[in-house]
Amino acid sequence: MILDQLILPWLLAWLMAGLGAYLVAVLDRLMASGSAQVGSVWLAPLASAAWLMTQQATTTEAPDAPAWRLAPALYLALAAIGLALVPWSPTLVGVDLSTSLVLWGSLEALATVVIFLHGWSANSHLALIGAYRYVALGLSYLLISMFVLIGVALPAESLRLTEVVAAQASLWHVVSQPLGLPLFLVVGLGLTFWGPLNLADSADLSGGTAVERSGPPRLVWALARAAMLVAFSAIAATAFLGGWMGPWLPGPAWLLIKSLAVLVVLLWLGRRLPRLAPERCLTLMWVVLLPLSFVDLIWAGAVALWMA
Amino acid sequence: MTPSPATHIAFVVLAALAVLSGWRVFCTDSMVRASFFLLLSFIAVGGIMILLTAEYLGVAMFFMMAVEMMVMALFMVMFMMNPAGLNPMKMVHQERVAIVAGVAVFGVLSAVAVLGDFPDMPLPAEHAPVISLGRELLGDSMLIFETAGVVLLTTMVGVVVLSSRHGRYGRADEGSIPPGLEPGGEPAGQPKESEEEKGEEGGHAHQHHH
Repeated sequence: MILDQLILPWLLAWLMAGLGAYLVAVLDRLMASGSAQVGSVWLAPLASAAWLMTQQATTTEAPDAPAWRLAPALYLALAAIGLALVPWSPTLVGVDLSTSLVLWGSLEALATVVIFLHGWSANSHLALIGAYRYVALGLSYLLISMFVLIGVALPAESLRLTEVVAAQASLWHVVSQPLGLPLFLVVGLGLTFWGPLNLADSADLSGGTAVERSGPPRLVWALARAAMLVAFSAIAATAFLGGWMGPWLPGPAWLLIKSLAVLVVLLWLGRRLPRLAPERCLTLMWVVLLPLSFVDLIWAGAVALWMA
Repeated sequence: MTPSPATHIAFVVLAALAVLSGWRVFCTDSMVRASFFLLLSFIAVGGIMILLTAEYLGVAMFFMMAVEMMVMALFMVMFMMNPAGLNPMKMVHQERVAIVAGVAVFGVLSAVAVLGDFPDMPLPAEHAPVISLGRELLGDSMLIFETAGVVLLTTMVGVVVLSSRHGRYGRADEGSIPPGLEPGGEPAGQPKESEEEKGEEGGHAHQHHH
């Protein structure tokens, strides 16, 4: 009981988080290969991580001490909980809750709180602007994600991720709900503030919520964002690409391949999509993408009724 | 089914966390800290609900409360004269009334817990919390929940209107002007700009500024 309920999810989550974050760093460098590269693509992430580990962790004048210390670790913990929810095969699941889809939704909601606290606790004006900016945007990502995920749960008649996968036996949700995956990918870039949706830690704020971060906590913050991106890819592969299902190969191998594919698409989108100013981005979320998620939900309900 | 020792330990830890963080809400000096201590308390209560096999309600508690506390902190900062929620402020008011009410409620609730005669009803084996909750929400209790939903939606629309960029001195992105010190007077504390700025009624509806 202790082995399969405590140690297995722990191992699965942290292996995926550690290896996945490294992979994100490598893939992102490979995609940037047009620009000048210094050193090996495979060693550079390790070198910069080691460099951060040797640096001093500076602090600001009068930060909110608990939130300032805990925010990077909490964000990493949220990513790890997300990775523990991913079903690798019908039997190999870290944590098989009957409401795992809702728990994933609540991780997204808690991520908003943690990112806000990361910027707010620093007691520094650029970090503060990044924090409030993320809250404004994060609420719209949450709503889009919620409607898309309800659409995924409808045909399964369950909030359990393993049953969501099982419901895709005849047709993957990426085909039966064509709007779902694109919208979910936007949510993924937003939640990890990656690429064009990096408005919380962006260059126009000199690094936003992370502007005052240095040394090991900065490394944890970067790791957490990358691990969250990996968790997002795995959940997207589970919810839209049929999870473990596929011919010839065993289930976990299929899940790895599909998650990797989603991750590559996310990183590619992060390099290719144009940036928007935060207020225009907010308008895009509420006026265009949120109504599209309503359409996705109605579509999903109609298809579920028709196929039932 | 009697609960395992792990369940008992989890309950004690979560209950202590809920009470401690709930107590900290009233000791802290900041709206933002108070909101997130309250969130921590609610998360612990959500964990206890999962222990009680209310799996959906427990997880929904994390989800609802995370968004709710975040939005609450945001709206408090928007409505209070406390830039970005950084200034310390007293979080307790009307202390005497609050102490009396708190002691009375605590007495009643603990009397119910200690003296009450609770039924011993084990859960049925085919207990499906999500399905039974859904039937309850869209069945007998539908009118109550829909009414509450519409009331909450109205409140949200009202709050958004009040805190929208068309603030009390005009639109935020066109530059807002404070009202004069006497009715119809010049905007208070503003450098002189042009003649047409004068005589506006209390700086209301300042659409053409700049």
